[in-house]
Amino acid sequence: MHRRGVGLAAFDRKQTTKRFEELSNSISQSQVTHLNNQLTQFRTALTHFASTHRDKIKSDPSFRHAFQQMCTSIGVDPLAGPRKGGWWAELLGLGDWQYELGVQIVDVCVSTRERNGGLIEMAELIRMVSKLRGVSGGSITEDDIVQSIKTLEPLGAGYQVVDISGRKMVRSVVKELDDDQTTILGLAQEHGGRVVEDMLIQRRQWSRERARTALENMLLRDGLCWLDDQDEEYGRAYWVTSAMKWEA
Amino acid sequence: MALSTHTTSTGFLLPSIHSAPPFFTQQPNPATEAIVIEQWTKLILSYARHRNLFYLRVEDAETGGDWDEVLRNDRINRRLPPTHLSSILAGMVAKNVATYEPAKQTRSVLLYWRLPEEWAEVLHQWASTTGQMNTIMTFYEITDPPVNSPLTNIPLPLLRKAITILAKSNRAQIIAIADGEGVRFFTPAK
Repeated sequence: MHRRGVGLAAFDRKQTTKRFEELSNSISQSQVTHLNNQLTQFRTALTHFASTHRDKIKSDPSFRHAFQQMCTSIGVDPLAGPRKGGWWAELLGLGDWQYELGVQIVDVCVSTRERNGGLIEMAELIRMVSKLRGVSGGSITEDDIVQSIKTLEPLGAGYQVVDISGRKMVRSVVKELDDDQTTILGLAQEHGGRVVEDMLIQRRQWSRERARTALENMLLRDGLCWLDDQDEEYGRAYWVTSAMKWEA
Repeated sequence: MALSTHTTSTGFLLPSIHSAPPFFTQQPNPATEAIVIEQWTKLILSYARHRNLFYLRVEDAETGGDWDEVLRNDRINRRLPPTHLSSILAGMVAKNVATYEPAKQTRSVLLYWRLPEEWAEVLHQWASTTGQMNTIMTFYEITDPPVNSPLTNIPLPLLRKAITILAKSNRAQIIAIADGEGVRFFTPAK
């Protein structure tokens, strides 16, 4: 009868490691083969599932989201793989779908860039992309946009999702918003787009010079806002277009 | 505080940009101002077509009149200043959607919400469908017909341009008549 220690005292670290090594060596080749077969079967099943539900994945955003969550949790990246858009993409035709959405996002960002200086509110982007796609496009969610923008990264055009005081915006120019501009943008969002020097002085304790410089730069240098010289209160107000709410 | 469209009392739908206070200010950033001019151009031509207006003058920005619904927005207390309007008119002339009329001044333009070439077709079509081909007509009969036509009230300079275009394709001929100018329309020999 073997006398192996049972209990904590009997645990010898080195011994344990050695025992595990012995164990792994004894997993036979047949077991590895078996494991591979399982994985292949699993992949086949998943492939079958994906192609069966391809249309639903394309048209139903919550289903699509759940599918992507599932892929992530089992370690499958729908966009990875040697081929463009990935193996999944090819299987589902999702690559085309993603690509098409990416093109539409770029389209909207470029055509509104002069109006908003390269910064567009997520909701506005979704609205305009949906319009482009029409009824047959199916509904697009913020999640879809975020995923699609990830695929635009290699373009190096600087497309990024940024958060400005709780509001998601998409930036399409390679220009970092400096801190002052971010503050102004946040303030603008609270007031339907309108900002005046005095707001920054009173509410953020800026000097008049700092306020004026920041606003004038946004206006003249960066084209991020429009001027209103008939403002009743101060005669001069700055309207940040990306913070203004437009009815459809 | 969403900026919305608005339907005027004459039934014209103003775009939501017209509810934005800065829209009335001439923008110091040239790229931004280019957009502003483009939007005003579209709006002006659209309104002119809706009301059948042909002339726009810098002074229309000041006096009340046909253009009030567009050149001001009393709901937000904004008006388009004459200097800005003047700049917009220059832009329209440069784009050939308007022309300074009379010539050699810059305070008044004739609007081409329909291009002279298009007017030519409309004119020829009207002469044809009202059975007035090959008859000599006075300009007055064209601008003031008994039954309203698309050509009713068309300004004479524009009418002349349209006729000149038709003459080039042998579809009209200006005739000198007793009290002024006349024209005859025909279908070109095939």
